[in-house]
Amino acid sequence: MIWIVAWKNVWRNKARSLVVVMAIAFGLLGGVFSSAVLKGTSDQRVREAVSRETSHLQIHNKAYTDDNEVKFVIGGDLEKLDNVLDTMKGIEAWSPRVKFMAMAGSANAGTGVMVMGIDPDRESRVTEIHSLIRDSCGTWFQACKGVPVIVGEALTKKLKVRLHSKIVLTFQDMQGNLTGGAFRICGIYRTSNSVFDEMNVFVTRTDVIPLLAAETNSCHEIAMRMKDAGIVEQIQSTLKTLFPALLIQNWKEIDPLLGMLNDFMDLWLYLFMGIIMLALGFGIINTMLMAILERTRELGMLAAIGMNKQKIFSLIMLESVFLSLTGGIIGITMGTALTWYTNLTGINLGTFTEGFEKIGYNPMLYPSLDLFFFINLTLMVIATGILASVYPARRALKLRPAEAIRND
Amino acid sequence: MSIIAIENLKKSYRDSEVEVHALNDINIAFDQGEFTAIVGPSGSGKTTLLNMIGGLDKPDNGRILIGGEDITKLSSRKLIDFRMHHIGFVFQSYNLIPVLTALENVEFIMHLQGIKREKRLSRATELLEAVGLGDRIHSRPSKLSGGQQQRVAVARALASRPRFILADEPTANLDSASTRNLLEIMEKLNQEEQVTFIFSTHDQRVVDKAHRVIVLEDGKVVKDEYQN
Repeated sequence: MIWIVAWKNVWRNKARSLVVVMAIAFGLLGGVFSSAVLKGTSDQRVREAVSRETSHLQIHNKAYTDDNEVKFVIGGDLEKLDNVLDTMKGIEAWSPRVKFMAMAGSANAGTGVMVMGIDPDRESRVTEIHSLIRDSCGTWFQACKGVPVIVGEALTKKLKVRLHSKIVLTFQDMQGNLTGGAFRICGIYRTSNSVFDEMNVFVTRTDVIPLLAAETNSCHEIAMRMKDAGIVEQIQSTLKTLFPALLIQNWKEIDPLLGMLNDFMDLWLYLFMGIIMLALGFGIINTMLMAILERTRELGMLAAIGMNKQKIFSLIMLESVFLSLTGGIIGITMGTALTWYTNLTGINLGTFTEGFEKIGYNPMLYPSLDLFFFINLTLMVIATGILASVYPARRALKLRPAEAIRND
Repeated sequence: MSIIAIENLKKSYRDSEVEVHALNDINIAFDQGEFTAIVGPSGSGKTTLLNMIGGLDKPDNGRILIGGEDITKLSSRKLIDFRMHHIGFVFQSYNLIPVLTALENVEFIMHLQGIKREKRLSRATELLEAVGLGDRIHSRPSKLSGGQQQRVAVARALASRPRFILADEPTANLDSASTRNLLEIMEKLNQEEQVTFIFSTHDQRVVDKAHRVIVLEDGKVVKDEYQN
């Protein structure tokens, strides 16, 4: 019955309660939607970076990552490594790469690039670069004239070259001698990360190994894609045990900024929502204090007829929770609906494409939030209602019934 | 045997720098089934005395024995419980819960007592019928007249089956017809069901109906007499 009384009390002053409910609802709408945009953007960035740039796991010679010297190829029992990667459960695909720094030059300009010598078929099973070549921008190593190279759109602008243009790559071979070769642009890819596009070029491993004067099966890097992102650390641990001499890193270790983005985004979202709830909590406290002031005589009567302190506290706490939960449910529902709709349509920030792509983000945003966020947010709303009731309830408990009854 | 025995009750307040003796060595006893009016001018100590008997305030000195138990010695928690089970209150300004219907208002105290819903509903309905509001049980206080609200308050006071009912100026806000009606109901409850009523009042109509009149002046009993 106290629940019923509390619910009815919430609506005793409809206008005032509606103002608070709407404040909570719109506060949460803003909070939920902002969180969804942030989370969606961050998830999208992580997803794209893993599928295009880092893959889930990478294997290197331990010395290679210090200065990317071409002589530090993956050593040891390569046959055993191939067998393990081919047979290990959970590994969807893996791609060996020779990877080295080079100078890329055209007739007009030159710049430093990272050359990825890959096996096109295997690479296309690990990363998505092959799918990011638009129709008019060539192919992924098919029907190419000359020695093929796939470059990013940003690099073509920098070198002032086009599809089928020739570029020269100059680099050091395994012995440290300067070498190089002429390549014909076979395809131009475009990710949402213009820095990556400007920096990375793809050639076939079979084309560059002779230029490097390296052994046929040499590679500097093995990139792996897992069947399930959740097992990355488990596979990493197994591989580390099997190949202790090699450096085996997951995507968070390869790109610590990306790892931090992934790990801290949730914490940041809860902090963000916590600040919103704190602000709304003060609104609830104000409303509850006014309600108690108006009902001094009634609270005095309740205490007089035998309503004990716990029950009076519960009554006020329930009113506060109902108030916050009503606003919370409306706000979360509106926020969910807006998130769902914009997730379907996407938010096109095309005007800011250049800026977004320079920091590696896709200008097409897809807001999203997971179920746990909504569950936790609902719990935060209830907790806010409870906490916001403490001060008004304490004020109510301090009332002396004999005086409160005669209050005008 | 007395159901209430007040012994050497003293209470004083400090008003600015002056000490006011609201109750000054009061000794009174009330028996079961009394219909008593406590009268006196404003500031004579009527409300203070009622608050003391009702356990809403503590005396500086003296004892209040209700059914042999000294309520001045009870902890605040036990006192709340004692009030709920043993004392019924009727207030000058009705003090009903505005969001509840008449039935729910009467039922509420029984809910606090932990009585099951069926029993609560049946007793609340019975009491509202007894005070002549059988046809208004689902009305909210705002839809009832002052007299009707005070009758709901009487029904609520009776709902917990208290040993006695304290009514602080119950007719102060009522018109003549409502006052007459309310007094008739309370008198009937007193005569037929031996409900003990103790009023504080200024109202001569209440005094005329009372079986016993206690007159207070400056915190002292100056007259205590039974009338026919």
